[in-house]
Amino acid sequence: MSDAAISQVIGIEAAAARAARNHRLAASLISIGGFIVLIALWETSVRVLHVPPYILPAPEAVAAALWSGLAVPITSKVGYYLPLWSTMSNAAAGFAIGSLGGLLLGSLMAEFDFVERLVMPYAFALQCLPKVAVAPLIVIWLGFGDGSKIAVAALLALFPMLINSFTGLRATEAERLDLMRALSASRLEIYRFVKLPTAAPYIFAGLDMAVVYALLGTIVAEFLGAQQGIGVSITEAQSTTDVAGVFAALVILGVTGILLHAAVRRLEHRVIHWSGRNRKG
Amino acid sequence: MEAARVHAPVVRLADQQRSPLIAIKSVAKTYISASGSAVPALDNVALDIAPDEFVCIVGPSGCGKSTLLRLIAGLDRVSGGTITLASEPITGPSANVGVVFQSANLLPWMTVRDNVRLPLRVGGYRAKNEARIDALLTMVGLGSFGDKFPYELSGGMQQRVAICRALTRDPKILLMDEPFGALDALTRERMNVELQRIWQASGKTVVLITHSISEAVFLADRVVVMSARPGRILRDLKVGLDRPRAFNDVVGHPEYVKLTRTIRGLLDETEAKEDLLS
Repeated sequence: MSDAAISQVIGIEAAAARAARNHRLAASLISIGGFIVLIALWETSVRVLHVPPYILPAPEAVAAALWSGLAVPITSKVGYYLPLWSTMSNAAAGFAIGSLGGLLLGSLMAEFDFVERLVMPYAFALQCLPKVAVAPLIVIWLGFGDGSKIAVAALLALFPMLINSFTGLRATEAERLDLMRALSASRLEIYRFVKLPTAAPYIFAGLDMAVVYALLGTIVAEFLGAQQGIGVSITEAQSTTDVAGVFAALVILGVTGILLHAAVRRLEHRVIHWSGRNRKG
Repeated sequence: MEAARVHAPVVRLADQQRSPLIAIKSVAKTYISASGSAVPALDNVALDIAPDEFVCIVGPSGCGKSTLLRLIAGLDRVSGGTITLASEPITGPSANVGVVFQSANLLPWMTVRDNVRLPLRVGGYRAKNEARIDALLTMVGLGSFGDKFPYELSGGMQQRVAICRALTRDPKILLMDEPFGALDALTRERMNVELQRIWQASGKTVVLITHSISEAVFLADRVVVMSARPGRILRDLKVGLDRPRAFNDVVGHPEYVKLTRTIRGLLDETEAKEDLLS
């Protein structure tokens, strides 16, 4: 390709990037507009239909509850910061343990047939079981402290990582394996230089699920009896029929989930920029 | 007596030069298909390739020419017969053999430079030789593309990077499995000229598999024509055209015309036989 041709290509790419930016701007305008319409509908329906606040509080009641929980010092015992910190740190620990464990187990299964044969039946059986149902058992074993929350989060995060890393590692093209064999590469070198990068898009899709599942697992464990956490805030608000308080906690959780998802996507974008999925965007 | 002792090494050296770098003797390869039946891919193949020679292998699809290449590369094992590289029997992949695959087969997560460097990072190599990587990339006209990723390159450029990678360990032998099959006709001719230049500059022994008769005659010192499955060698043709060759000079040349006709005739014949059998 000549320099002129390359600069032309760069010009075309710049135009395409501009068009993509405009497209994204339009898309976010649509989302914001939709959000405003939703809130307006909510507000009017609550007013017009006289819905009692213990069924569906008005948006401003939720906003007030949210504000009262947020407008406190960060170390305050009331408010969202301490419960959120508790939930997030346990979810993060569970996420780290579960996803690392899933990657490790998935890798062993992909590399060694006997491990696959040994583990796969149990993995399938557990996959079909709603794992949340195991949470009460874990609380019996580990008590009401952080341990049981981390364990449930890790258990939920493990499976998407296990299945995705296993599938991704097995998806390596035969020709790439031939290349590495022709270079007399060791098994570990093939894993590191070819299989793991091939599996990276699958692994990130798994991380994306695992991060949400870890949060879910922590909240469920908190429901079953714990001293602190957003799950505890929700059950406390529920016990006093503070529906606006429940909504506010749900908003906090929703925003947290969206931020975590965005963080994983951003990381994925940086790490596997070469993958087709990330080059289009 | 004295004179004989002085001469002895000279004779041995001359012997060595005449002895082939790659010696393929009555090689057979049979695959076991998924249904468990034996599928013969190669049958009684014999071929000697001298150092610095450029040999092209042509044959109908599925005739086992890729199989033959995989055997020389040490990626598969023979079912019968022997293959030796420099008189040593093949036990597995060798650092003296560089392989270029059908697709460029670059690793998309690595820059061009890292792709070319890969052979120095795996398989027991821990060499740092940036100068060699620079020299290789410059040789194929990609000196300023080292930091690009493969997806930023055209198909022809990617295949040139793949050739660089196969040369990184400075192997004696370069094996190429239809390396330009995915390229358009014009790019393909340019790559042929390029490959001829690289071969002349680097002094490698090249075995190239192709579907294209014109590519084979343009590039090769010898064109080996294989039969339909199970692959056997039908004919071994010497190409008497001067080097460096250019497509404009070669295409109308009587030798070129004669050879392409002969090869086409042989391929038509073997494919017709296969059609009768199937």
